[in-house]
Amino acid sequence: MSLQQTATAIAGPRKGAGNPFRWQLVTPWLLLLPAFLSLASVSVYPILKGLWLSFTNTSLVTQEHDFIGFGNYRLLWVDDLFWNAWWHTITFTAVSTLAETLLGLAIALLLFEHFAFRGVVRAAMLVPWAMPTVVTSKMFGWLFDGQHGLINYLLKSAGIIKDNVNWLGSVDNALWTIIFADVWKTTPFMALLLLAGLHTIPKSLIEAARMDGARSLATFWYVRLPMLLPTLLIAGLFRALDAFRVFDLVYVLTGGGPADSTETLSTLNYKTLFSTLQFGYGSAISTAMFITEALIALGFCIFLYERLRRQR
Amino acid sequence: MSQDESGRSAAKTALAASLNRRSLLKGASLAAGSMALGGGLLASTSSGARAADRTEITFASAKFYAKKTIAQIVDAFNESQSKIHVKYIELPPPSSSTEVHQALVQQLARRNGAPDVFTQDVVWIAEFAGAGWALPLDEYFPAAARAEYFPGLIDACTYQGKLTALPWIVDGGMLFYRKDLLEAAGAKVPETWADMAMIAAELQKGGKVDFGYLWQGKQAEVLVCDAVEVIASNNGSILSADGKTASVGSDQAVEAMQFLYDTINTTKISPADVLSWDEEPSRLPFTAGKAAFLRNWSYVYGIAQDPSASSVVDKVGVAPLPHFAGGKSAACLGGYQYGVNASTKHREAAVEFLTWMSSPATQLRFAVDLGLAPTRPAVFNEAELAKEQPFMQTLQGVFTGATPRPVTPKYAQVSLALQSGFSRGLVSGDIKKELTATASKIDAILGT
Repeated sequence: MSLQQTATAIAGPRKGAGNPFRWQLVTPWLLLLPAFLSLASVSVYPILKGLWLSFTNTSLVTQEHDFIGFGNYRLLWVDDLFWNAWWHTITFTAVSTLAETLLGLAIALLLFEHFAFRGVVRAAMLVPWAMPTVVTSKMFGWLFDGQHGLINYLLKSAGIIKDNVNWLGSVDNALWTIIFADVWKTTPFMALLLLAGLHTIPKSLIEAARMDGARSLATFWYVRLPMLLPTLLIAGLFRALDAFRVFDLVYVLTGGGPADSTETLSTLNYKTLFSTLQFGYGSAISTAMFITEALIALGFCIFLYERLRRQR
Repeated sequence: MSQDESGRSAAKTALAASLNRRSLLKGASLAAGSMALGGGLLASTSSGARAADRTEITFASAKFYAKKTIAQIVDAFNESQSKIHVKYIELPPPSSSTEVHQALVQQLARRNGAPDVFTQDVVWIAEFAGAGWALPLDEYFPAAARAEYFPGLIDACTYQGKLTALPWIVDGGMLFYRKDLLEAAGAKVPETWADMAMIAAELQKGGKVDFGYLWQGKQAEVLVCDAVEVIASNNGSILSADGKTASVGSDQAVEAMQFLYDTINTTKISPADVLSWDEEPSRLPFTAGKAAFLRNWSYVYGIAQDPSASSVVDKVGVAPLPHFAGGKSAACLGGYQYGVNASTKHREAAVEFLTWMSSPATQLRFAVDLGLAPTRPAVFNEAELAKEQPFMQTLQGVFTGATPRPVTPKYAQVSLALQSGFSRGLVSGDIKKELTATASKIDAILGT
């Protein structure tokens, strides 16, 4: 109360002073200005600059900096390495997001139930996600090493495989090994988001369903899942956009090899931008990534929008 | 209690201060101004005294250290004479090669003379020279002076007939072998790849080791190094002599890469895992006593002799890498070299510092105190080196065969194309096709 009074007391005289009509129009914009300026400087400007660079042949090595129109994009269109990386990135994003969502949902449903030490288990579950990816990547490197890795040792001891599997050095396995590592690391994050979503579903709905005689599966299918769907889609969107930028795992585990079989857009872009310092061509790859990501986000949003509209 | 008291009084002062903010600000700015003025005066007097008789130059280098640091060596130079004062700018360590490269490119592209002297990875030399950032040093280091370094290093420091860098420290690929196993088998240290493969296969068959030969096939810079070594040891090369076209599709190159492919698929002396291994994963089985031969850099020796990390202490020998019949052993050249900024305003001082840094006496200090191998063969004969770094002394033969990677300003792009092409060839086995495709890709890169 007293706070409100003070607020009006401060705002009061200012309203009266000067030209009230103009100030009311300008003040909100003035208040927004700092936020707008900071956003523009760290987000809008770099994006536009990147877009501009993608139309030039800028390279720190050759010291060129000329406008070349769509030259970079024409090169990109016929660049096998780019499309190779593009497909790997799409595969990685789709498979890892799907696997993480399904596993995350299963874990979230488990952790939603009451059991002893639930708090401890919930906290422990987040450990893999909280570790820096470079560290987990190194760990996975040793775990999946074909000759002295723990995974091969365990599988062999259990009699599942006879010979060592070459997880990272074979074109058939390397991408899947990286996807597995990502699923292991990021599923907890999905589980956490979905767990939060589960908590927002009113208990009364589930109780009502039970009273109507619905079993657990029916409750899940007809009550929980539809209620959870928006959270599921948003979590999936976050995850997909994040997975699309996968870098550390690939960079540390395989460097894009063998035979380019794990090259993703981020690693290709890093090599082009920072190793060869071809800022023009690298920016064209960045822009292509930006467009692809925007399309993925758009797909999710349309789906989400349709879903919400139908519910109403 | 007294803490509480002082806290409260501090709050009171703060309040008073905020009430009288304007005057406070004025006071603060005055104080800051006088401080800056005073500081400036102080600084100008001290540096003025220095500037009167000393030329100030800057030296940027990636960070190396062991018993001593580069800064200490630079200090020794500053104390050794009274004309020049060198300010050392520390860049990230060589393991963050991409960052060091970026930092140097950003600085040099400004062409404002800073840093006056710098050190560069051997593969950037052509790039910096091609951009006109590196001062040609021929007039300061005539042919006679150049002859005092390993010839492969001078080749690597020469771009389009001009010396644009000066050798500093060297490393190279070498063959590590198990002395005890070779002795037991009555075999000599192999000089050709065929001999090596034969001995390796025998030891592996006899159950003495799990792996005959380990190398690095990960799609990374190290794969280019391993490939340069086999290709050069078959009288092949990656680029033509003038550096304008690719020769990596040649028969010699294909035959050499075929040998690496065969170690996995035909002679089976290497596990397929080498395709995902860089230095460390390939080093581990060797120092664990599970491999007969290993191609790697000089750092492995220190680990192999460390009882807490190695089960092959005193059982490891080092030799130049094998070669093909009719070829010569080649060691892929690593290491960092000096360069002088073409826009430096203190050319004479920079060259004098460079001469001192690259002198036999300073190279000996780098070798003994920082463990960095000298680029002058003569330093290898120093008694102090023999006492302090006996292993390093044995490497003279290895570095004599030092072979540069392709010398071109677009090395980074060429290297990426090579990494991809070599890796594809080693996976598919269709080496001829992949190397021919890589050659035309490189031609396209060099042509533009």
